[in-house]
Amino acid sequence: MIKITNLEKFYRTEEVETIALNKLTMEVNTGEFVAIMGPSGCGKSTLLNILGMLDDPDEGSYVFNGIEVAHFNERKRADLRKHNIGFVFQSFNLIDELTVFENVELPLIYTGVTAAERVKRVEEVLDKMQIMHRRNHYPQQLSGGQQQRVAIARAVVNKPKLILADEPTGNLDSSNGNDVMELLTDLNEQGTTIIMVTHSEHDARYSHRIIRLLDGQTVMENIMV
Amino acid sequence: MFKNFVKTAFRSLTKNKAYSFLNIFGLSIGIACASLIFLWVENEVNYDSAHLKKDRIYLARENQKYDTYVFTHSSTPGVMGPAIQAELPGVANTCRTNEGTQSLLFATGDKPIFAYGKYVESSFFSIFTLPFLEGNPATAFTQLHSLVITQKAAKKFFGNDKNIIGKSIRVDNKQDYIVTGVIKDIPANSTIQFEWLMPFQIYWDKSPWLKSWGNNSLSTYIELKPGVDPKTVNKQLYGFIQKHEPTSLLSHVFLFNMNDWHLYDDFKDGFRTGGGQIEYVRLFTVIAWIILFIACINFMNLATARSEKRAREVGVRKVLGANKKSLALQFIGEALFMSFVAGCFAVVFIMLVLPAFNLLVQKQLTPGFDNPYHIIGLLFITVICGLVAGSYPSLYLSSFNPVSVLKGIKLKDTGAAYIRKGLVVMQFTASVILIISTIIVYQQIQHVKSRQLGFNKDKLVEIPLQGDMAKNFNSIKQDLVNTGYIQNVALSDHAIIYGGNNTSGLTWDSKPPGSQVLISQRYVTPEFVETSGLKLLEGRNLTVTDTNAKPLNMLITQSMANLMGKGSALGKRVHGEGDTASAVVVGVVNDYVYGNMYGKPDPVMFFSTAPKNTELMYVRIKSQKEIEASLTAVQDVLKKDNPAYPFDYRFVDDQFSQMFQSEMLVSKLSRVFSALAIVISCLGLFGLAAYTAERRIKEIGIRKVLGASVSGLATLLSKDFLQLVIVSCAIAFPVAYSVMHSWLKGYQYRIEIHWWVFAVAGLTAILIAIITISFQAIKAALSNPIKSLRSE
Repeated sequence: MIKITNLEKFYRTEEVETIALNKLTMEVNTGEFVAIMGPSGCGKSTLLNILGMLDDPDEGSYVFNGIEVAHFNERKRADLRKHNIGFVFQSFNLIDELTVFENVELPLIYTGVTAAERVKRVEEVLDKMQIMHRRNHYPQQLSGGQQQRVAIARAVVNKPKLILADEPTGNLDSSNGNDVMELLTDLNEQGTTIIMVTHSEHDARYSHRIIRLLDGQTVMENIMV
Repeated sequence: MFKNFVKTAFRSLTKNKAYSFLNIFGLSIGIACASLIFLWVENEVNYDSAHLKKDRIYLARENQKYDTYVFTHSSTPGVMGPAIQAELPGVANTCRTNEGTQSLLFATGDKPIFAYGKYVESSFFSIFTLPFLEGNPATAFTQLHSLVITQKAAKKFFGNDKNIIGKSIRVDNKQDYIVTGVIKDIPANSTIQFEWLMPFQIYWDKSPWLKSWGNNSLSTYIELKPGVDPKTVNKQLYGFIQKHEPTSLLSHVFLFNMNDWHLYDDFKDGFRTGGGQIEYVRLFTVIAWIILFIACINFMNLATARSEKRAREVGVRKVLGANKKSLALQFIGEALFMSFVAGCFAVVFIMLVLPAFNLLVQKQLTPGFDNPYHIIGLLFITVICGLVAGSYPSLYLSSFNPVSVLKGIKLKDTGAAYIRKGLVVMQFTASVILIISTIIVYQQIQHVKSRQLGFNKDKLVEIPLQGDMAKNFNSIKQDLVNTGYIQNVALSDHAIIYGGNNTSGLTWDSKPPGSQVLISQRYVTPEFVETSGLKLLEGRNLTVTDTNAKPLNMLITQSMANLMGKGSALGKRVHGEGDTASAVVVGVVNDYVYGNMYGKPDPVMFFSTAPKNTELMYVRIKSQKEIEASLTAVQDVLKKDNPAYPFDYRFVDDQFSQMFQSEMLVSKLSRVFSALAIVISCLGLFGLAAYTAERRIKEIGIRKVLGASVSGLATLLSKDFLQLVIVSCAIAFPVAYSVMHSWLKGYQYRIEIHWWVFAVAGLTAILIAIITISFQAIKAALSNPIKSLRSE
């Protein structure tokens, strides 16, 4: 599904140039659950942003589902992203002004799904995430675990092929964290490819494969048994 | 998607109540102010629009050349109208009327009422659009003593009586008139105003002087045939007077179209300046847009200042597939929504404030929400506000990088901060200009109002002569003096404060050949000098015997004496046109200001006349006497000596004040709108200060922990804003100076612009800004540093 070759990303300030990704090459197959680990500043989040087409690389190739996307413009990236990729963030990033239902509905609005279909799909996914009873609540009325469930519901409602999760349990206690990891595992078992950035060895153990980064390069790959 | 936007907008609005209040309140004041001004502008621009033929209706005006200037008169010879009608093929109709209006006493039963009106030819009814509710315009003036009245006058004279046509009403206690028509009330924004109309023939018969080509005392209205080019008619009119009266002065008649009567009635040296009331219309239109813009700036500043609060939403929406365009549309939509809510509140403000505004502008404006143009206008203003206010924030917010905002990286605010600062500078620049202009306009009006006019306008009462007042003048005068309240009483043919009869056809020994000077002539009784407060500088006052003296004896003003050459003017002679009559100077009085209160005093000749030739009585109340009691005394005397007429009077100082109506209006409106502009600017500044304090809360916490004082922190937070106000002053001062300097140039008698006006305006702006900001600054400085540092 994903093939990146010699990917490079630099951050420049007036005086310093930082290499975030240094000729990084990796592949992720459809249906895989991959964890990316490494110390702070190793390029994990940069990689995830590029994979999620929120950012573009400076050099190298990024092939997504057989299409070279490394130099797509913003409009094309947005289009590809909204149909194929779901995001889960550490800080949930729900919109405070919208209810649970409306937050989950948002990706469907941007992909032009009809209102009746939206209701059906949002209810389906809320049900699956067991937060149907909270559908009319606002994010600030929910616990952290519940908020992350809503975020995951929002990430999967469009039935994406790929879910990118950036430290999805970082803001949760261990019990809620485990619940979230179970959810992600379920989704993966149902066929969704998942790439997750994490600092937690515990969470990484849920994945099939761990890619360890250091200074923008892969230093080790562990296949989980 | 639209529904989703509306939902987010509405919830964001209700969640951030203070922010929404500042925006909506500021914007609604702005929209309400602008709408009120536009209502006034609409009324001004639509002047005379009730008259359907206005594109073809003209007033004949006349340029007369004098030594140093050309004066454009609005009065023309009495014999000119019929001659134009007979000789110029492009003219459909002409109508002569007396100039201005006349007040007459109407009595039905025992209830005498004054009403004002005009003597007009019957063509008046076809030239102007005057719908007859009763009677027939074609036959209204077939009888000499006919009377056409307005609906309002009908109510005044006859109450709720129906079938007024054919009723008789006694006018001036002398003659009965038959009502032959009742016409719909004239709209307030019509140049031609009256309560009654009478046949012109009556005026013509009692005014023999009208028959000369050399006498200009009438208004001549001309209706051109459809399709006739006024330029062609103007060519024919250019030498029209000389053609009929070769000895007449060099004067040229031209057409002045009805569309321009109200707004463009300003002439200089015989040419239209393009100015007049239109200048005020333009000025206030600009002020309306400035106020709206100031309100929009608040929105832009608050929206971008609180952008951090919206940044995450932008990031999430972008991640979920929103593109820049759809986000920009969302924010524009929010601004439009906010503006629409403000528009609704503005309607409430308009309804509440309109009565006071009407009082201010002396009009009866109505919001006219049943008028589709008003609704479209209001929507237009609202949409423009929404688009302007939402333009920059939408571009700014929609351009956020989702990666940065979702990571919580502090946004680089530099560009937006500069723009915000620039917008605050614009707001305060406009406010400071308005403050300076307000002070200078006020000073100029006070300057003219306190001008030494050359006569004493205070405690001087003007009473129109009615009934037997002229005949019984001597006994009235004696009775008034005997009351102990009155110092002296005099009669005059013209109001002392206004312009009046004048002539340029005079010669005297030292007058340069070909010189043309306009000199006013006044016919008065000898008491006039003392009663008015003029000073006799040389020679003697007029006496009753001067009335019939041959040659005539006259008093002249100082400037007339100067015109007549060096040395004493006493004994010098002035000759009339064709040397038919001459007059000898027996005394010289000081110059006095009349007609144009901003102009220099023009020369005047006073002649002694019999009471029957005068129109007005002047009563000087003793300086130490109470006005109320004195008026009662005057009323008692007049009731006794002239019982058939109600007591009608005016104070000369009131007449004086009324001469500054336009300037007073500008002064009052500029005061109100400057204050509002500052209030709106301060609302924005208040919000901006709040967000700045919020943004710098961690810095404040650290500084406090390190030992900063509350006053030091408050100063730190206020300093940046004060710098902006100071920059605004630096921009506003030269602009205001240049604008006001050119405004003052329009007045001959004017003030100098003093430096302290700028100092006062600048300090006022700074003081207001300090008060606005300090609340937020002190609040932030007083906050507990533990809280702010823990939250990071």
